[in-house]
Amino acid sequence: MDDFPRASLDHNIPLLVTLGIPSDESPYNNAALEPTLKDQATLVRSDEPPLESDQARALLGYILDRDASDLPWNGLQDALSRYKFRVRTAARTLLLPPRRARLPEGIEPPQPPAVLHSPFSPLSPTSPLYPDGLIDTRWLRKHQELVPSVLLSFYSLTFDPTQATLRDNKIKSDINNLKNALIQSGYKTRLAVVVLGDHKRSSVDGVQERLENLRKGCSIDPKSFFFVPPQETQDALERIVENTLATIYTHATEYYRDLGRHARKKRSRGVAPQPTIPPTSGTSRSLSLQDWNVRYDFKSAIFAEYRQEMDAAFRSFEQAYENLLNSEVVELIPSWSPRWNEARLLADIIAIRSLRCLLWNGQTTAAVRRWQLHRDRIADLVDSRGSGTNNYGWEAWEARWATVMANLLERVKLPDLAPGTLALYAQPEKAAMGDRLRPWDLLHHPGYWYHIAAKHLYLRRSFALAIPEDDRRPPGSSPASKVASKAFSYDTYMCPEPHEEYPLPGFKGIRHSQLIIDCLMKARSEFQKRQQLRMAAELSLESGREFTAVQDWQNVVLLLEPLWRDMSFRTEGWLDIAEDLSWRLRNAAFQVGRADLVLTIDWELLDRSFTKRRNWHYDISKSLEGIDLESKPTVKIHDGNVLSFLSTSFVFKTEEGKAGQTAQAQLSVTSNAHEGSAPIIVNRLQVDFAGSIRTLILEHKGDAASSSQRKHRDVTFSEVALEEKTTQNTDENRPPTADGHQTATYLYGDVDLTLSPGRTLVFAMDIPLREPGEANAASTRFSLNHDTFDLEYVARFQESTIPDDWYVSASSKKLMSRSNAHSIHILPRPPKMEIKQLAVPDEFYTSESIELRFEIDNAEDENATTKLDVILRGEELSPCTLQLEGHDESHPAEAGDEESVVQGVSLGTIERGKSTVITLRVEPYAISTQFELTLQATYHLESDTATSIIQTAIFQVNVVNPFEANYDLLPRLHPDPWPSLFVYEGQDGDDAAVKIPKGISQAWCLVTRYASFAAAGLLVKDVDVSIRAPPSVRCFATKKHDLPEGGREVRPKTIEEAAFDLVAQKMSLDDRGAASLDVSFIIKWTRLSDMASPVNTTVLPVPRLNTFGIEPRVLGSISYVKDLVVLEITIENASNHFLTFGLTMEPSEEFAFSGSKQTTLHLLPVSRRSVTYRMLPLVRGEWVKPALVVRDKYFQKVLRVIPTEGMKLDKDGFLVWVPPEDDDDDAEE
Amino acid sequence: MATTIPSIACLGVIGRNNNPLHITIFPSYDPKTNTASTPVRTPLQFSLLLSSSLDVFDLRLRTTAGASVSGDLGLLHAIDERLAVYGFETNTGTRFVVIVDMRGRRADARVASGKGGAAAAVVGLREGEMKPVFKAMQTAYVKLLQNPFYDPDEHSPPTGVGGKRITSRLFAEDMRRIGETWIPGVTSL
Repeated sequence: MDDFPRASLDHNIPLLVTLGIPSDESPYNNAALEPTLKDQATLVRSDEPPLESDQARALLGYILDRDASDLPWNGLQDALSRYKFRVRTAARTLLLPPRRARLPEGIEPPQPPAVLHSPFSPLSPTSPLYPDGLIDTRWLRKHQELVPSVLLSFYSLTFDPTQATLRDNKIKSDINNLKNALIQSGYKTRLAVVVLGDHKRSSVDGVQERLENLRKGCSIDPKSFFFVPPQETQDALERIVENTLATIYTHATEYYRDLGRHARKKRSRGVAPQPTIPPTSGTSRSLSLQDWNVRYDFKSAIFAEYRQEMDAAFRSFEQAYENLLNSEVVELIPSWSPRWNEARLLADIIAIRSLRCLLWNGQTTAAVRRWQLHRDRIADLVDSRGSGTNNYGWEAWEARWATVMANLLERVKLPDLAPGTLALYAQPEKAAMGDRLRPWDLLHHPGYWYHIAAKHLYLRRSFALAIPEDDRRPPGSSPASKVASKAFSYDTYMCPEPHEEYPLPGFKGIRHSQLIIDCLMKARSEFQKRQQLRMAAELSLESGREFTAVQDWQNVVLLLEPLWRDMSFRTEGWLDIAEDLSWRLRNAAFQVGRADLVLTIDWELLDRSFTKRRNWHYDISKSLEGIDLESKPTVKIHDGNVLSFLSTSFVFKTEEGKAGQTAQAQLSVTSNAHEGSAPIIVNRLQVDFAGSIRTLILEHKGDAASSSQRKHRDVTFSEVALEEKTTQNTDENRPPTADGHQTATYLYGDVDLTLSPGRTLVFAMDIPLREPGEANAASTRFSLNHDTFDLEYVARFQESTIPDDWYVSASSKKLMSRSNAHSIHILPRPPKMEIKQLAVPDEFYTSESIELRFEIDNAEDENATTKLDVILRGEELSPCTLQLEGHDESHPAEAGDEESVVQGVSLGTIERGKSTVITLRVEPYAISTQFELTLQATYHLESDTATSIIQTAIFQVNVVNPFEANYDLLPRLHPDPWPSLFVYEGQDGDDAAVKIPKGISQAWCLVTRYASFAAAGLLVKDVDVSIRAPPSVRCFATKKHDLPEGGREVRPKTIEEAAFDLVAQKMSLDDRGAASLDVSFIIKWTRLSDMASPVNTTVLPVPRLNTFGIEPRVLGSISYVKDLVVLEITIENASNHFLTFGLTMEPSEEFAFSGSKQTTLHLLPVSRRSVTYRMLPLVRGEWVKPALVVRDKYFQKVLRVIPTEGMKLDKDGFLVWVPPEDDDDDAEE
Repeated sequence: MATTIPSIACLGVIGRNNNPLHITIFPSYDPKTNTASTPVRTPLQFSLLLSSSLDVFDLRLRTTAGASVSGDLGLLHAIDERLAVYGFETNTGTRFVVIVDMRGRRADARVASGKGGAAAAVVGLREGEMKPVFKAMQTAYVKLLQNPFYDPDEHSPPTGVGGKRITSRLFAEDMRRIGETWIPGVTSL
C-alpha cells in the first residue's frame, strides 16, 4: 500500500486547524501547497500574539491527543468517541490554496473572458490533469491537508480592567479579519473561537457580558464560540474540550455535507463542463460526461468518508468504480497513454477504499469477494485492452494487490482476526452466510495474503527472467526504435521498466529475491503470532530457497539451522520435507564452511529413508572436500537429533545372569545407508553400560578376526574374544570413569568394523558380569577418525517393546521373546562352597543317637573364611551338638521351641580345594519324628572381604521306630500256697527294712512278639521287661528264653517272640483290690552294619496288665504221669465271700477219667482249692476237650476254665494236649 | 475458459504422532492443456500443506476444547483462492485431511454424467460438503484396522515418535476412489 501516492488511501477525517497556540507537534504544513499555487494562495492571518499560558498548552495538548488519523480503520472506534479530527496546529497564519487557477502565461485571454476553474480541476490548463485526466491525489491532499473544515482560533480574555475594552476590540477585529480572509478565499471553512479566561479574579457577570459582546461584535454563532474558564482542573478542562470538539464536529460534518451536496449537484447537471481553454495538444480530448460522473461520484464518496458515513461512501465508490470501468470511460483511454495507468491507479484506489468501507462494517466475506472482483475486472481489462496478464507487470500488480489486502487487514485490526484469538479466518457475516461459500471467501489473516503475494512475486520473477536481452538494455544504450517498441510491449503500471526489472549484469535493478523474502518474512511473523509453527517453518524453508538463489549463504544457515536442529518434520516422519531442508542447508553450510553441519547432514542423508540423489558420492569421507578448514573438526552427532542409517541393538541372551560369570551377548549394527554408498569404516565402537558392566570397546583391525567371521547374505557374524585392559586414563578421548579414577578397565576386542550399506555386523561375545543388580547397555559410540575430520556418533538404546533379534548364526536368527533385551538382571555371585553329607544311613531310628557328618568343600578359586550356622526345625527336638573335626570343643545348639540353632560357628579359613568336616550329634529320639536340618555357610573370599557369600544346604532327617511288638498275658498257676487268712500279719516288725509281702500271689506268663520295621538288619542283643508295679504289689519277671550269645539277628519284617514269667504278690492280704502293672518291653540292639557302635535301647510300652481281679478264677493245669494226664482244676476265691461251685465232668470218647463226675466245692474267703482228674486218653497226639463245667452255685453262672501251660482255649472250652506216645518223655520235661 | 468445479487435490491420513500415514495426490484440471493431468502442486508442497494443517488441528484443540464431538473440524484454512484444507479427527487421534482444489475439475465433464446436484456453476462449498468424504475415509480406515495384520501401534507407536506408513493396497485404492468420485453435492461415497 506504500507504493500508492501519498494521501491516496488515507482514511479521510475532518481537518481541524488550530490558530493561536504555537506547537511543534503536527504543524499545519504549507509545504503541501505546490509552489506554483503559493503566490495565489489566500493568507489567513491572526495578528494577536500567540497564547503561551500553561492552560493553553494543556488545552492544545489534549486536542492533539485526540487526533484520530492513526486509529484503526474499523467502525468500533465510532462508539468510543463522538468526533474524529485530524488536528493540525498553526501559530498565526495559514495559506489556503486558490480557488481559481490562473491562465497559463503566454496564452491569450480568450474572448469572452474565460471561466476560471480550480487549479486541481482538469479544466484548468495549469493542472496536470488538463485536459482529460480524471482526478488525482492533489485534490485529495487539498482537502486532507490544506483546507480545514474548521478553523479553531484561540484568544485570551484579559482581566485587566484597564485593558479589557482595548483587548476585546482587538480580538474582535482579529476575528473579523479571519472571517474576511476565509470568505475571500472562497472556502466555506467554519470558524470557531475559543476564549480562555486569564485570571480568576473577575466577576462572572462581567466576563459573560464581555464574551457576549465579543461574539456579537463578530457575529459568530453561539455554537462556534466557546469559553474556557481559568483555573479549571485537568478533568474539567478535558470535559470542556470534549464538549467543544463534539460541537465543532457537527460543524465539520456540515461542512463536508455541503461539499458533497455540491458535488452531487454538479453531477445532476448532466453537462460536461468545458475547460477554460480548449485543449490543443495530445489527443485534444477532453473529459466526457461519463468521466465527469466518475469524478463527481468519487468526490461525494470522499466527502461521505469525511463524514464517517461509510455506507454512503461505499455506495458512491461503487458507483464511481462501475462508471470508471464502464466501456465509455476506461475503454476510451488509449492504453499507451499515461492516462491509462492513471485510470488503473484510480480504479485501484477506489477498490481499496471500497474494501475499507466493507471491512469498516465487518463485512469480511464481502470484502474478499470485492477483492476478487476487482482482480478479475482488472485482469479482463488488461487482457482486452492492455498488455495482458502474462507478463511481469501483471504479476507485480497481483502481488501488490494481495499485499494491499494484508496491509489493509493490518490497518483495520479486525478484532476477530487479532493474533490473540488464534483465529485463522473470520467467520462470514450474516448476509453472506446462507449461500455456498468458497473457502477463500472467509477472510484469512494477513499471513495468508502475504504468502499469496510471495507466490505472485515468484511468477513475476519468472516472467522477468524471460525478458530478452535486447529489452534489458538501459535507455540510451539502445536504438531509439527499440525503446519505442519496448514502451508498449511491457506493462509498467507501478513497476519498473524491463531494464530495471531484470537488469543486465552490472546494472542496478529490482532484487526479486529480496522482495520475495520480505514478503515471506512478513507472512512468517503473522503465522508465528498465531502459533502456526509448521507453516512458519515452511515459509522459512521458502525463504531459505530464495537466499540460496542469491547465494546469501550466511542467511540460509541462520534461517534454516534452527529449523533443521529441532525440526518436527523429521521426528514426525515428513521425510520429504526434511530431505529438502537438509539438502538446502548442507549446500549453504558447505559454502560458509560449517564442517559440522555438512558432516552431520551428510551422515543423516545416508539413510535409506531419504530418496537417493543421483550423481552424489554418498561418501562421508569426501564430505569436506572443497572446504577450507583451519583445524580438523570434531563432530559429535547424537541419536535423536538426526535420523541415522545405523541401527544398533545390544541383546543379552538371557534375562538373568550371575555375578562372576559371563553372559552371552550380541551387538548388532545394521547400516541402512543408500545402496552403492561408500562403506564406512568405524575406527572404534564403544558400548557404555548402565550398571556394573564394564565399558566395551571394539576396535577396527582391518585384518583382524577374519577367521572367526561367518558371512551369510547381508549378515556378518563374528565371535569376539574380549580381554580386559586397564588403561591409564590420560587420553582425553576416553571418557572418565564414573568413580573418577585415573585408571579405567575396559573390555577390548578387535573386530572388522567396515559398515557396508545394507549389511549387518553381528558381534557375539561373552560379557563378564561383576556385581549383582540391574545392568543395561546404555549407548553406543561410533568413532570415525578420518584424515580431515573426527566424527562421533552416539546412539542410545531405548526402552522398546519391539523384540530384538538374536542371531544364532549368520544365516539364522530368532526373535527374543522378552522386551528390553538390552538389559540384564545380574544375580548375586553363586556360592561355590559345597556342603555335602557324608555316609548317611537310609533312616534313623528312635532311641538311637543320630550322628550326621557333613563336609564343607571350598570349590572357590580362593581361600574362604567361613562361618557356619546350623538350624534344626521340627517338633520336640532333641538336643544336639556340633563338633568340628580336629577340634575338641563342641557347640551345643540353642534349643528353641520348634527350632534349635547353632549359630556362627567359625570354621576358620578353608583353603581352596580343601574341605572341613563337621559332625552334628542329635540325642536319641524316643518317638518317631522328622526334622529339617539347614546348614548355612557364610563366607567371604580373601580377595573381596566385603562381599559375603552364602551357601545353604537343607537336609531332611526322618526318625522311625525300629520295632513294634504285641503282647499276650497268660495266667499261670502260682505254685505256692496262699497265705492263711488266719495268720496275723502285723506281727513281724514294722521296723523291718524290707517289707515281706504277705498277700496272695499270682503267676502270669507275658508273651511278647516283636517285629523289626527297620529297613536294615538289626542285631538284638537282649530283650527284657521292666515292671512298674503299684506299691501294694511286688512283682518279679523271669526271662524264659535266653537269646543266643552275641545276640539275634533280626531281619526286616520278621517276627520274634520272647516270653517272661511274671510273679506278683500283694503286700498285704487285706488288699483285695485289683492291681495293674505298667510294664515296658526293652530291646537292646545295634545295627547289623555297625556292630561296634553302642547298644541302643528301645523301650516299647506294654499295655497295662490287670492282675488280682476280685472275681474267682478257675485255672486248669495239667501234668503228665506216664500215660495219664492229670488235670487239676484250681478255683481261687480272692473275695471276702464264701462261694460254692458245682463241677460237672462229662464223659468223653476221647479219654477215660477218674475223679468225681459231679461235685460241689465250698471255698472260704481268700482261699483256693483244687480238684484233680486223672485222664487216660484214648487218642494220642491230639487235643482233647474235657467237657468240664464249673458253675457258681449261687449266681448260677458258668465260669470259664482258664488254661495254663499245655492247654488251650477254643470257643466251647479248654483243650488239653495229649502228647504222642513216643514224645511222652519230652512232653513231660 | 471452461467453468470449473471443486475437486479433491489430495487426501492425507495423519497418525496420532503427527506422522504421515498415507498421502494420495490427484491431478487437477489445467486450463492450458484442457486436461486433468498434473497435480496442482508438487508432492513436496502437498506434504508441506498437510504438515501445516497440523498447526490448525493443534489450534482448534486449544481454542475449542472438545467442541466438535463428531470429529469434523470443517474448513481448517484456505491456502489461497484455489486450495482449501478440510480436517477430521477420529477419537483415536488419527487425522484425515482433504485438500480441495476449488478449480480442480471441468464442470462440463461432470454435468454430462448427470450425477449429484453439482450445477455447472458451483462456486462455493456448503457447510457439510466434506462429510461424505470423511465418512468414506473413516470407513476405509476402519476396514484397514480390522485387518489383523495391521498393527496400529506400529504406525503410531505409543512412544509418540514417528511411525510407519500405511502400505495396504486396498486402502490406497479406497482413497483413490474417494478422491476421484467426489464432486460437490455428493451425499455418499
